[in-house]
Amino acid sequence: MSRKDLFPKWIAGITGWLLPTALIIAWAVAVQNSWLSSQILPAPADIVRSAINLTASGELAKNIAASAVRAGWGLLIGGSIGFLLGLFNGLSRTAERFLDTTVQMVRNVPHLALIPLVIIWFGIGEAGKVFLVTLGVFFPIYANTYHGIKTTDPQLIEMGRVYGLSPWQLFSQIIFPGALPSILVGLRYALGLMWLTLIVAETIATSSGIGYMAMNAREFMRTDVVVLAILIYALLGKLADAGVHFLEWRILQWHPGFRRH
Amino acid sequence: MCIFWNGAFCNGIRVLDATKSIFLTNTEDYPVAAQANLKTSSNLSLKLEHVSKKFGDLTVLENLNLDIQPGTFVAIVGRSGCGKSTLLRLISGLDQPDTGAVFYDDRIHRRLNGHARVMFQEARLLPWQRVLDNVRLGLGKEGKDRALEALKHVGLEAKANEWPSVLSGGQRQRVALARALVHEPRLLLLDEPLGALDALTRIEMQQLIEKIWLETGFTAVLVTHDISEAVTLADRVILLDDGKIDLDVSVDLPRPRHRDHPRWIELEEEILHRVLNKPGK
Repeated sequence: MSRKDLFPKWIAGITGWLLPTALIIAWAVAVQNSWLSSQILPAPADIVRSAINLTASGELAKNIAASAVRAGWGLLIGGSIGFLLGLFNGLSRTAERFLDTTVQMVRNVPHLALIPLVIIWFGIGEAGKVFLVTLGVFFPIYANTYHGIKTTDPQLIEMGRVYGLSPWQLFSQIIFPGALPSILVGLRYALGLMWLTLIVAETIATSSGIGYMAMNAREFMRTDVVVLAILIYALLGKLADAGVHFLEWRILQWHPGFRRH
Repeated sequence: MCIFWNGAFCNGIRVLDATKSIFLTNTEDYPVAAQANLKTSSNLSLKLEHVSKKFGDLTVLENLNLDIQPGTFVAIVGRSGCGKSTLLRLISGLDQPDTGAVFYDDRIHRRLNGHARVMFQEARLLPWQRVLDNVRLGLGKEGKDRALEALKHVGLEAKANEWPSVLSGGQRQRVALARALVHEPRLLLLDEPLGALDALTRIEMQQLIEKIWLETGFTAVLVTHDISEAVTLADRVILLDDGKIDLDVSVDLPRPRHRDHPRWIELEEEILHRVLNKPGK
């Protein structure tokens, strides 16, 4: 009997949540006994209260929606460019020779260092924020797509040629599925960078978004709202990660490493 | 021995030697045999003329001439590095000879085409496609029934919807064999396909390959380092040494061949002796 069988499924399902729950309880106790000033860290109950208030007023939904739109556009644009360029450079030696050096140089510039320039170029509107997210998600998707294509098993490609596959079939049946695990890793990294970039971008003059909500709350010393904003980022990050997990599970069923037992 | 999928039709055929033409012309007695051989009645004849291949300074094949009759089963044996796999790659069209040419039916063969299929040492199944989809690779939408039929021939129709990763090594090679057969190739090239299998699975696979070859009658070229495998399966065994043909013997044993047949033992000894007495440089 394996050790897994000792625990019922539902216990295995909640083990990941044990530590966060314990931390929240410790936190609540610390604030309750005034070991921690509520100016530094508000009580969990206060945060819940402000979450309810902000939800009721519709402000929370509006800000989350504003952030999600920026994140979505940035991911769509940056992801598409990264994916296409990764494909292009992975499949064509000429393109690789021509473009890869440039991409690698640009990659080493921290994209957040461009913020002053972005403000000059785009002002403080939506375009600048989407642009920053685009830059942030571009590289992980580019690099992993490129890597995935490059590391497709050459023996399988040779087999495909022997079996008379056309170039398109070679790509769609062998090269692309072979690169998918790597591309999905890129997507996961990209999602992490997407939120990170957004947090920073939304602290530049804005009038909506979770980052704006947090900055605004800071002005009024509303630490409960600030912490709420941070928690929402954490949850959104977790949600995005779960989404990729689901994709991996659906798309990579063939892969022994992703099969559910 | 029964050489057909269902034993009912194989009453008359017991002893078949290398001359496949007898088998082909006597088909009126065996209706199933006639059907089975119709589609491959134009087995491919293969010819190599003055073929040489170098990799850098290393000459792998030197002025090689070889003539293979349609429908025969030829085994190419030799030490590792003697050029046998290179030869197979030239025959398939995966590589090009530096000088000389490969002829399919007296026509120069330059590129990969639909006449030949290769079975590699590794099964090379696509891990992201289910077994059935692997077999119908390159067949398009309508290939499903044919792929199922081919899987049935190798005894794996029950695994049609499995992922390749759950199959054993022998099962994967059987799927690879089905994938090659589904195209009804006129020439089947086998590049040590059984090299990585355990001894028992290997013998099973040899029997399966022989059975399918007897039924469909394609021209077969098998590269192997296992001399007993060559003597068991082939009509003709060619020993390559140092890029040249060192020995070319026909195996005139009745099928199915038994490894305790005196002639079988004699042949294996002869070839083995020849290989071992030519120490590599």
